[in-house]
Amino acid sequence: MTNTNEFINQLASKLGRATPTETPNYVASNVPQYRLSNPKERASIFLDNWQALGGKGAIVESLEDTVQCLRGWFGDLLAAWPNKPQAIIAWDLLPTVAEYAFKALEWPLVRYTQAAQTAVDRYSLAALAELGVTGADRGIALSGTLVINSHPQRGRAISLLPPRHLTFIEASKLRDNLFEVLEELASLGIPPSAIEMISGPSRTSDIEMDLSIGVHGPIEVYVVVIDD
Amino acid sequence: MKVSLFATCLANALYPEMVLTMAKILKHLGQTVDVPEGQACCGQIAFNSGYFDDAREVARTLIDSFEHSEVVVGPSGSCIAMIHEYYPTLFENEPAYLEKANELIQKSYEFTQFVVDVLKKPDLGASYSAKATYHPSCHATRLLKIGDAPLTLLQHVKGLELVPLPEAQLCCGFGGTFSVKMPKISEAMVAEKAQHVLDSGADLLLGMDMGCLMNISGYLEKIHKPVKTMHIIQLLGEGMRS
Amino acid sequence: MTMYNPTIDQRVDEALANDFLRLATRRATDRLRNNKYKATAELGDWEKWRQAGETIRTHVVANLDFYLQQLIGQIEKQGGHVHLAKTPADAIAIVRKIVADNNSKNVIKSKSMISEEIHLNHALEEDGSTVIETDLGEYIIQIAGEPPSHIIVPAMHKTRQQVADLFEPIAGHVLSSDTPTLTRFVRLQMRERFLQGDIGITGCNFAVANTGSIVMVTNEGNGRMVSTLPRVQITLMGMERIVPSFRELDVMLNLLARSATGQRLSSYTSILTPPKRASEADGPEEFHLVILDHNRSEILGDQTFRPALNCIRCGACFNVCPVYRQIGGHAYGSVYAGPIGSVITPLLEKDWKTWGHLPYFSSLCGACSEACPVRIPLHDLLVKLRARKTLSGHTPQIEQQIFKTYRYFFTHEKILRRALRLGSRLQWPLVRNGRISGGPPPLSNWTKSRTLPKVATKSFMQMWSELNP
Repeated sequence: MTNTNEFINQLASKLGRATPTETPNYVASNVPQYRLSNPKERASIFLDNWQALGGKGAIVESLEDTVQCLRGWFGDLLAAWPNKPQAIIAWDLLPTVAEYAFKALEWPLVRYTQAAQTAVDRYSLAALAELGVTGADRGIALSGTLVINSHPQRGRAISLLPPRHLTFIEASKLRDNLFEVLEELASLGIPPSAIEMISGPSRTSDIEMDLSIGVHGPIEVYVVVIDD
Repeated sequence: MKVSLFATCLANALYPEMVLTMAKILKHLGQTVDVPEGQACCGQIAFNSGYFDDAREVARTLIDSFEHSEVVVGPSGSCIAMIHEYYPTLFENEPAYLEKANELIQKSYEFTQFVVDVLKKPDLGASYSAKATYHPSCHATRLLKIGDAPLTLLQHVKGLELVPLPEAQLCCGFGGTFSVKMPKISEAMVAEKAQHVLDSGADLLLGMDMGCLMNISGYLEKIHKPVKTMHIIQLLGEGMRS
Repeated sequence: MTMYNPTIDQRVDEALANDFLRLATRRATDRLRNNKYKATAELGDWEKWRQAGETIRTHVVANLDFYLQQLIGQIEKQGGHVHLAKTPADAIAIVRKIVADNNSKNVIKSKSMISEEIHLNHALEEDGSTVIETDLGEYIIQIAGEPPSHIIVPAMHKTRQQVADLFEPIAGHVLSSDTPTLTRFVRLQMRERFLQGDIGITGCNFAVANTGSIVMVTNEGNGRMVSTLPRVQITLMGMERIVPSFRELDVMLNLLARSATGQRLSSYTSILTPPKRASEADGPEEFHLVILDHNRSEILGDQTFRPALNCIRCGACFNVCPVYRQIGGHAYGSVYAGPIGSVITPLLEKDWKTWGHLPYFSSLCGACSEACPVRIPLHDLLVKLRARKTLSGHTPQIEQQIFKTYRYFFTHEKILRRALRLGSRLQWPLVRNGRISGGPPPLSNWTKSRTLPKVATKSFMQMWSELNP
């Protein structure tokens, strides 16, 4: 293993100067950014782009809307899921509307972080679940992307291991483009251990360039945009 | 304007009539034409093969031969691109010649670029009846960035029906010494280009670089599918005579 | 001047004779290229984005020592471990030791070109670990024992039937070769592996210097699995792969996703700052970043080739290259194929004998430079590599002689005139119907597949001086 100073000094010598002691400046080139004019448009374009990627989605304005929407998506499926009490795995705390909606539907939620003692056991539970439910910290309209930060009361495997992933996001958390999201993330200081940007379901075109959905990650992805 | 012709090595040896036609067209457009002696080649063949020292001396000869010219025009985007793109590299350590190279860069043009962009003569009054397709040679398009100048000239030729060449942006596989250094890959490339020419349904292939045209037409002839091939200058020459 | 190594010639022959390979390569590159056009057109001024990308990359590379130092400091502050590897052997030894120290047997990997560059899998397998590539394409070529044929679509050269045949012994039963069946098999097969993996090895698209984060982009989600589930995460990165801060990720991620596959963003873009915080329910407890030099510092010190370090491995140059289009990736013989592979392989490996053919795998059409999202002048660099090879005396004697002769004639135009006149008289045995077909090498390299016009009786210069005495 090479000593850090030695390694860095060698690079400095290749660059023909001493290593700068302060962050070097540069003049960034401006790029034209995608902008939308109002929140309504943002929500609807986010949804369009999410759906274009193969996701399902809806904008809800009330608890009733939400309940109806969830029943429409999962009602029939739920009846067929063998391991019903453990079929839905979720964050410790979902956005309020989501919590109320699941309560109203009387669909039990397994809370991932508390469901097992060890990480390996939690993964097994998540892998056996039919649906993972999360919120999101931000969304990107242009690319139909959800941005989800890790947190002790959340868990990263929920949006990854079950075959279906459902996310609730407040419309106010949507942004036009990636740039705005990164600016906000930069202001957090030390970033969370994982920021996952998710744009649609798991996909691959590795066999004869033929698009196939769900090779590793979720096969079906759903988003509920909460009009706030 | 006094225009000095740069014949280019390939056209000088293999297509002298085409260069003569270029002279006639330029005279017809009211230019005074001369052909400075001593000029031979832009040096690209050696440069592209990695023989920079040999290329530099050939380039120096070319720079010298056009030293007193007002404007230099050649029938090849590739050769003019060589001057524009790489002479500064060749002479980066020779300030005196770097300056001369830059002068040559300032005053040198590919033929269609000169006629359309400098002389502003998109319509040469030519007419030619044919169904033709056009191959946009890589160096003229990507390096010299002559844009639509060749097409502009062609669109003004009466009776000429232009049909699109599928995947026109693909290199024909000539690449100078590439064609003999990597002959099999080059053959595969020209085979595909030739197929696209046939697929276009055209009975005439047009271009503005004799190297590429020689490659494509040579292949088409070998597979006994000869499609008539002309440099834009040859087409204009015939079209203006009629 | 045609002497190339027979093994290279053989590889090219094999590629050209492989109809499926050529069809698949054409189909894939056409698709990726067209997707890219759409994705870049909608961004507005794509040239501005390229410019911005070039500016960022050039700045980072010019200050690589500073940013690496910052990155290392940040990662160590957060409890991660950084290992610096001068050579591929160093990198392998480092990974081996981490695996051994953790008593790990099940290594799961997401796509990493560095691991291909250093040939890591074999070494780990020798130590008794099971190493599984989890990217579908990488998995296929791992079973087949082949290197990737495309930097983004590694198993592009395999037919679905070949894939089914490769999977069958693992499945233990006959598999039909439709895509859904094959992907479902991989999902089930890989699930167990993911859950059992005790070490995850990932690649790194970008590392963020001021936060100590690594950014990884995948479409399948395997990158997330590998960086979420195992207790230990090892990330391999080429030392140039840095951005200063989150801000620059906007330009870089847009350039990467749009240039690679024509997506606005890849399905999964993970910005990871491991290890996991103590109170978090998942994520790796232990994090190792292995930073590889492997002669990158030599490239850094070489003003001419330094721009090659700007590459973000998007594969856009593969998808427009007319040479790659005909022969696919394996004919290059190198881990990195395509135009960028032809540039960096001779520089990384420093071995003209083995890799000296690569700079000539280009007609210098410039399509690669035009496609590059960070404006690396790839075709320029290829020519300059040829010049380096020539200067170092590694080109054939006869070729050197040919260009000396060329130089003589083309700096003496009057003599050239006479030579052409002589040539026009001597060529008659080769001329049929006004065209040349046949003749000795290197002429035959041309005439095997093409005819050539004969040398004119009078050259233009001759003609002109007679007309204008």
